[in-house]
Amino acid sequence: MRTPVGLGTSSGPEQEVQRPSGPSPRRPGARRAPLLGMRGRRALLPWVLLTPALTVIGLLLLFPLGRIVWLSFREYRLRNLVSGESEFVGLDNYLTLLTDPYLWQVAMLNTVVFAAVAVLTTIVVGTLVALLLSTLNPVLRIFVVSCIMVAWAMPAVSGTYVWLWIFDVDSGVVAQALGSMGLVDPSGYNWFADRLFFYAIVTLNVVHGGFPFVAVTVLAGLLTVPRELHEAARIDGAGAWKRFWHVTFPVLRPVFAVVTVLSTIWDFKVFAQIYLMPGGDVGGSQMLNLGVWSYVRSFGHNDYGLGSAIAVLLTLLLLVVTVFYLRALFREDGLR
Amino acid sequence: MARRRTHGYVLLPAAAAVLVLAATACGTGGGGGGDASDTDSLLVWIMQGTNPDETGFFEAANAAFTDETGVEVQVEFVPWQDAQNKISTAIAGGTVPDVVELGNTLTPGFADAGALHDLSGYGIETDRYIPGLMEMGQIEDGVYGVPWYASIRSIVYRSDLFEEHDLEVPRNWDELRETALALSEAEEDMIAFPVPGDAQYSIMPWIWGGGGEIAVQGSDGGWTSQMDTDEGRAGIEFFTDLALKDGTSTTGAVNWNEIDVMEAIADEEAAMAILGSANPKAILEANPDLEGRIDSFTLPGQDGGHMPSFAGGSLLSVFEGTGNEEAAWQYVQHLTGDEFSMRWAEETGFFPGAIEGVDEFSASADPILEPFAVQLGEASRGVPVTPAWTQVEAEKVLVGMQQDILNGEATVEEATESAADEIERILNGG
Repeated sequence: MRTPVGLGTSSGPEQEVQRPSGPSPRRPGARRAPLLGMRGRRALLPWVLLTPALTVIGLLLLFPLGRIVWLSFREYRLRNLVSGESEFVGLDNYLTLLTDPYLWQVAMLNTVVFAAVAVLTTIVVGTLVALLLSTLNPVLRIFVVSCIMVAWAMPAVSGTYVWLWIFDVDSGVVAQALGSMGLVDPSGYNWFADRLFFYAIVTLNVVHGGFPFVAVTVLAGLLTVPRELHEAARIDGAGAWKRFWHVTFPVLRPVFAVVTVLSTIWDFKVFAQIYLMPGGDVGGSQMLNLGVWSYVRSFGHNDYGLGSAIAVLLTLLLLVVTVFYLRALFREDGLR
Repeated sequence: MARRRTHGYVLLPAAAAVLVLAATACGTGGGGGGDASDTDSLLVWIMQGTNPDETGFFEAANAAFTDETGVEVQVEFVPWQDAQNKISTAIAGGTVPDVVELGNTLTPGFADAGALHDLSGYGIETDRYIPGLMEMGQIEDGVYGVPWYASIRSIVYRSDLFEEHDLEVPRNWDELRETALALSEAEEDMIAFPVPGDAQYSIMPWIWGGGGEIAVQGSDGGWTSQMDTDEGRAGIEFFTDLALKDGTSTTGAVNWNEIDVMEAIADEEAAMAILGSANPKAILEANPDLEGRIDSFTLPGQDGGHMPSFAGGSLLSVFEGTGNEEAAWQYVQHLTGDEFSMRWAEETGFFPGAIEGVDEFSASADPILEPFAVQLGEASRGVPVTPAWTQVEAEKVLVGMQQDILNGEATVEEATESAADEIERILNGG
């Protein structure tokens, strides 16, 4: 399997650190009997060097993760938060969660359908932009990349407020434009109350924030596709469409695997872009996804046990989706 | 790499929590005994929302406190909407402030959870304070908050427009509707009377106005909501019909909270609106051109008289376990004492939490506040007194109901019924 240059480096931190551990600088002391043989040291050194990073990750990532799982098996409310004591309730929180129709009809549906649409749109838009970028000359390319980087650099909260302003029901740009064309009733239409429109706005927001990453990553991959392959295909009479699917895509499959998995993870866990929208923070509203529901349940309802159970469910869901994706994309005779 | 990348989205609340922790970490030093002499600084959280600018007041109050006790005070402003989450995360992180301003509807929840210091040992004269506020700070014999100020909602209107179009202050619901209709006809570019979706205290009066109750406690201790009775529905129907049938509001108002309503008046977009007693001052601060052009009237009753309005307000509470309880209590006394509670009232337009103070303040206050004083004295109500009420607000049950009706997702019958079910479920510990 080919690995594009742009991506290869991220998979090999261990190779990187092994190189300086080579024997040359240590030679003079080698005569004393070392504690570990050369082989042992070579195996150990990367881990020693990784220890600080692993410690930080363990503290910042694994501890909260374990704590969430622990919480999800407990009855934990505001009172427990104050006293610090709580009661083990087994699978009660999970039973409550899985038998709640709200999970299936609203939260899960919103999460999965939105993520599917948003990931697909992000990848398609990102790839199209990458293809455009690859045809530009370097100066123009740097200019366009800088422009789309601005969208990427925009913090989610600020970005969301800008979209809210654009779609303001009474005086937003969109309402005024549609109103002046006579497409909406002069009294306005509250799109935030309509689940489909609500998520259409969220999708715009999330795709806008997510496509630059895809574009830049795919562009890095595109630049590694050997030109001869394209020339050969062109001589065989393949059009642009065929060249993309039969030359570019197979070479870039690992790149697409990475951007798809990353986008999926982000889009499953979208929070600010929903929570800050009107109706996005109301318990029982039709607009919540799993992440926001978990937060509202924990901090609105003060039911941290159930909130954690939702978070665990979301994590498991993500693991399953990711594993499935990676297997499908890396299978030797994988799907096109 | 995959995991690290996701943090931007997933851990937003956690990041907020970390910020809160970082911001407050310095304030809760000391530890150990509750002796005031051990404390060299206090951290105080004050709520921020529709009040006028408060920084000047706290500079003066804190300087006076430092002169008196030698204790430095640091005040941080917390937006009302975030208050509950911020306090919860601070409790979880063990980084609570020493003194916190809590809305009266939030106090029982935190008191019941054991987060607040019992002040009953300090000899508070509970009958000095407005009963509706004081009872929210009491659980059995414990006192968990001292009423600081009361806030009441009435209607603020553009007196210049009323004069221009020969309109009288409405005295009952029908007149209110006619006035709103006349205004929307006369001022086509303005919103005559916004019907907000995200402002629960603007909804409550209508439940009471038709003769309903949000919830009543039976002899067995169980709660029953009357929002889905004919009486409860009458006002909600009248209020939402102003938007849906009479068009005196605007579609966007479904998403408005009290701040948006206030801004609509300040920006001269709305002609009259349900607002709190601290709002006229904030409006004039934002738009001095309106000086002399706004006035207020009490919420009219269905057939005359006054319609009850929600008496909100804040209590000052001391957090348990900070080690600074003694000094914190002194600071609470300092702010709720005569000098600074009166000064606070004058600077904001809120009413003092002590009964005596209300009378004194009403006598000398700006005439625009007179109807608010009448409303507070003659037609004010509170929410059901139970710790679980906090959760009804946190889940935005009334807001959800109002928005469903205004968005046409549910009829008044359907929306009130599901809201009543939800309130009963929460209050009865479901």
